[in-house]
Amino acid sequence: MRGQDYTRRRLRRPEWMVVVAGLLLFVTTTAIAQVIPTVMPQLVGRSPAMETGPAAPLPKWITDDVRKERNYPDQPPVIPHSIEGYQLSVNTNRCLSCHRREFTQESGAPMISVTHYMTREGQMLADVSPRRYFCTACHVPQADAKPLVGNTFKDMSELGAKPAGSE
Amino acid sequence: MEWIRKVVLWAWHVVSTPAGTLSLGFLTLGGFVGGVMFWGAFNTALELTNTEAFCTSCHEMRDNVYQELTRTIHFSNRSGVRATCPDCHVPHNWTDKIARKMQASKEVWGKIFGTINTRPKFLEHRLELAQHEWARLKANDSLECRNCHSAVAMDLQRQTERAAAIHTRYLLPGRATCIDCHKGIAHELPNMQGIDPGWKVPPELEGESTTSSTPIDELRQAMKELHASNF
Amino acid sequence: MTGELTRRDILKAHAAGIAAATAGIALPAAAQPVPGGVTALEIKWSKAPCRFCGTGCGVMVGVKEGQVVATHGDMQAEVNRGLNCIKGYFLSKIMYGADRLKTPLLRKRNGAYAKDGEFEPVSWDEAFDVMAEQAKRVLKEKGPTAVGMFGSGQWTIFEGYAATKLMRAGFRSNNLDPNARHCMASAAYAFMRTFGMDEPMGVYDDFEHADAFVLWGSNMAEMHPILWTRVADRRLGQPHVRVAVLSTFTHRSMDLADIPIIFTPGTDLAILNYIANHIIQTGRVNQDFVQRHTRFVRGVTEIGYGLRPEHPLEKAAPNAADPTKMEPIDFEAFKAFVSDYTLAKTAELTGVDPGFLEQLAELYADPDRKVMSLWTMGFNQHVRGVWANQMVYNIHLLTGKISEPGNSPFSLTGQPSACGTAREVGTFAHRLPADMTVTNPKHRERAEEIWRIPKGIIPDKPGYHAVLQDRMLKDGKLNFYWVQVNNNIQAAPNTSNETWQGYRNPDNFIVVSDAYPTITAMSADLILPAAMWVEKEGAYGNAERRTQVWRQLVQAPGEARSDLWQIAEFSKRFTTDEVWPADILESNPEYRGKTLFDVIFRNGEVDRFPLSEIDPAYDNHEAKDFGFYIQKGLFEEYATFGRGHGHDLAPFNMYHEVRGLRWPVVDGKETLWRYREGFDPFVKPGEGVNFYGQPDGKAVIIAVPYEPPAESPDEEYDIWLVTGRVLEHWHSGSMTLRVPELFRAFPGAVCFMNADDARKRGINQGAEVRIVSRRGEMRARIDTRGRNRMPPGVIFVPWFDASKLINKVTLDATDPISKQTDFKKCAVKIIPVAV
Repeated sequence: MRGQDYTRRRLRRPEWMVVVAGLLLFVTTTAIAQVIPTVMPQLVGRSPAMETGPAAPLPKWITDDVRKERNYPDQPPVIPHSIEGYQLSVNTNRCLSCHRREFTQESGAPMISVTHYMTREGQMLADVSPRRYFCTACHVPQADAKPLVGNTFKDMSELGAKPAGSE
Repeated sequence: MEWIRKVVLWAWHVVSTPAGTLSLGFLTLGGFVGGVMFWGAFNTALELTNTEAFCTSCHEMRDNVYQELTRTIHFSNRSGVRATCPDCHVPHNWTDKIARKMQASKEVWGKIFGTINTRPKFLEHRLELAQHEWARLKANDSLECRNCHSAVAMDLQRQTERAAAIHTRYLLPGRATCIDCHKGIAHELPNMQGIDPGWKVPPELEGESTTSSTPIDELRQAMKELHASNF
Repeated sequence: MTGELTRRDILKAHAAGIAAATAGIALPAAAQPVPGGVTALEIKWSKAPCRFCGTGCGVMVGVKEGQVVATHGDMQAEVNRGLNCIKGYFLSKIMYGADRLKTPLLRKRNGAYAKDGEFEPVSWDEAFDVMAEQAKRVLKEKGPTAVGMFGSGQWTIFEGYAATKLMRAGFRSNNLDPNARHCMASAAYAFMRTFGMDEPMGVYDDFEHADAFVLWGSNMAEMHPILWTRVADRRLGQPHVRVAVLSTFTHRSMDLADIPIIFTPGTDLAILNYIANHIIQTGRVNQDFVQRHTRFVRGVTEIGYGLRPEHPLEKAAPNAADPTKMEPIDFEAFKAFVSDYTLAKTAELTGVDPGFLEQLAELYADPDRKVMSLWTMGFNQHVRGVWANQMVYNIHLLTGKISEPGNSPFSLTGQPSACGTAREVGTFAHRLPADMTVTNPKHRERAEEIWRIPKGIIPDKPGYHAVLQDRMLKDGKLNFYWVQVNNNIQAAPNTSNETWQGYRNPDNFIVVSDAYPTITAMSADLILPAAMWVEKEGAYGNAERRTQVWRQLVQAPGEARSDLWQIAEFSKRFTTDEVWPADILESNPEYRGKTLFDVIFRNGEVDRFPLSEIDPAYDNHEAKDFGFYIQKGLFEEYATFGRGHGHDLAPFNMYHEVRGLRWPVVDGKETLWRYREGFDPFVKPGEGVNFYGQPDGKAVIIAVPYEPPAESPDEEYDIWLVTGRVLEHWHSGSMTLRVPELFRAFPGAVCFMNADDARKRGINQGAEVRIVSRRGEMRARIDTRGRNRMPPGVIFVPWFDASKLINKVTLDATDPISKQTDFKKCAVKIIPVAV
């Protein structure tokens, strides 16, 4: 049954791709697309199921240093450069060697946010709180890859929150 | 024991008696060929100690620093050009190499007495070991890095913008040398508490070139320091 | 703010205008204060626990116009104090994957259900009709043991409780198990065997009190990042604090380790016995504590590996039939037993430097050091997982380092309600709520009483556990199967030979409820679209016994409905006459003609609370549909199981007010350290410590040996395979892979391998390889430079990627006591893919 799916999906694929491109991976209306809205094996598995397929090379990291807009103010910014080989251990913290407040003027890197100076009890310290030491728990680099499937999350500015000065 | 004495005496006799049957030409040539062979053997032996296989034949190296190297860009990369232990840790120029090899005899003592023969001991000594290498590379202006990575040959267009900007600012004018920023490029770092990031040039060096290209420069620098300390 | 522009403002606007013009952005004509006033900017914030791991972080969820628009760490939540990990920060986007399931889908051919048909959208009515027809067919043909349900530690408490009632009280089947079986069954069994009561005695406050942390098979830096912030805070902020990390490879948690220990897979058992031996030999046993609060036993050995009974390993194991037996011994016998585990012998067996082993043992032996031991899957997913758990309790009990601030053996959980739902509610094949079991007639009677059902309804035989369910599906003995909130085709061991075969067995009807089309959903016959997280009112219980409740904040898309709604609606399709035996109905005629919905939900208890008790500021789709506050009713009925004997929950409404409470909650006060006088209201003055879960109040110290794993590398299959998670993806990735930022952070599974090992085998960094075991194979790219730094002879492959099913390769060996799979140890070979 999955095998039949596969051929049918392949036949429909060009048409499907056009729809995807047009609607930014939005919901499609064809019966098949409604039933199986994605052909991404990473999400639904391969076709036929349990098949052992090739493993494509992993995409490369985005290293353009261009800051990405956040989805909402509370989101930790993503890292626009590679962090391969960066050591982040009890001995050393490569991230802080540029992003620490004292180094930002010379390094040109954004200063770590003021929230990172706060202890569990809400007291502000003179330096980064040790609980924020492991940066990669929240900040991640991004691979140059197309999302597997669209995400219909709406930015709050589309939902009536107009920034000051926008009208 | 008596026969040993006899053999030694006989040998001495042979060596100390002027050659009667051999031509001077033979002796000179023979000496030359012998010298070449000795030199060849010496150098081969020296070069044998100058391989990764030799370095990692000690478990101290294999289980600690070598394992760390294998996870870095100097072990596997796009073009497959790679650095082995001696590429970074043994000077390429002969006199320096011999000097380094003589120093290394100390490491042989370390090996024999087991200074770092366990992982806990190695971790304990890591800072000290690293500091030696940093000091050496700082003093020779990262010579072993520059054997492959020449600053003038860098194509700034092909570096990421950030790297190009930092190199332009610090490396090209000689405000910093490779090891200043690229500590831990091939191994894990020791506790770096109190060690500033490399690109932070100490105020006393601000505006000065750290590259002493000729002995004259070094002399000038030494004189300047001498004068400065006199006033 | 008069609206008049100063000269400076004009200059600024001018400069911005130029910048905007060059960038091609239209700029608003004039600067103005907030359009529509500040109310237009307002976001409705409500609390909820995080949807992912067992840490149980508090999250503030911002809703605007019916959409979740932002989330952030809750400053008031004690667990995380304003922090979230990368997954938590992206909770806002997990519900909005474009391929959300919005309507039931049934495999059909020519307009009717067909096992080999294509998925077609159907109505809920049609879906339930077909489902009920299939269930009734199976019940009629084979009886209750042929129907089963597989749930999860991601079920809300209400959902798990409704499921256990439907299965045990409705269909009279104990074939109900959660995927938590794969996750912490070993921990739960060890708690019961050692303390007679499930779940940790300590709490997260221990992090701020401990002087040393020992991680036994746990990569908290990636799997419990917020708890790791508390460890890091303590270690980096207090110079005397030490961290020891034990694992079979180097991972991110090792980066904080003072004592990094890489041991040969499976040999952690020897290290545990060595530490006990070290404590005894150096005279640091807390004699007073040991005499008053512990007793010693010896466990049976050679207990097998939980494989199919015909497997040679099972036939060779003399105690495979009853692996749980223990016989009493005394301290001297225990001392003699562990004396075998000398430093030299242990170092040789484990491959660990003796210096590290001694340092580790000293952390425990030193009476002045408070030690917190932490573990997750390294211990639990272990063919001797129950032993490993018990052996760490041995060490804490020998030294008396237990049940007090900072001295804490702490079993962490991987799912948000592994404790709250899977364990406390009792959705395991052998359990009832509040640590009761189906095999105990008194427990069954008590459950029947609370559930208001006739005596004898709850079956007395434990049902099929997770791995056994898969085997029974394949063998055609389990034929109607409902899977909720989990992705077991991807998660189960040896899936292509066992699990998947069962789903596609023509005798079976498989229903999967999920929010997204997972590989499990795609392997089913009927897919039911599920509401998730804040699309429903819910309750979770985290690893520190904290029960947390949240409200429905947004509507589920399309016709998606919560699992609770699905269970309750489905129960309407059955009458007692169809599912209960005639003799029980004869002696209880008042139950005749009633639907299971009447019996389970309209029983006078669950339907006790009217809709008016729901906060009018929030919706509640199930309650609206059923006409009563079903969540509160279920919770209050469930709470009666535990109140008064150490499982006490607070009144339901209280949980809506606070950031969770740690049970037992007595007189509105939560309990931090259990079994300790002054902290635990169930310990009487003068007792000091009382392990009241055991009839004699004494915890158990067990003598068990090191036994080898089920499968070790040999000449042909020469590498250890370890599987697990990564920070950015949670479990099978069905939620996190749909958040673009999380997907891009870790865009596919790789095979982490030692670089030197790879080079010796002629495998390049980035090369494609086949990972082959005796069960099957998968293909992946080699990463020798990633976050996991492998020793020679060990590889690690994460399982979040449905296109690279590592569980086709893994072995379905389990701990014979807990029946939890060992996903951390099997033998594979690696073959480069020739192009």
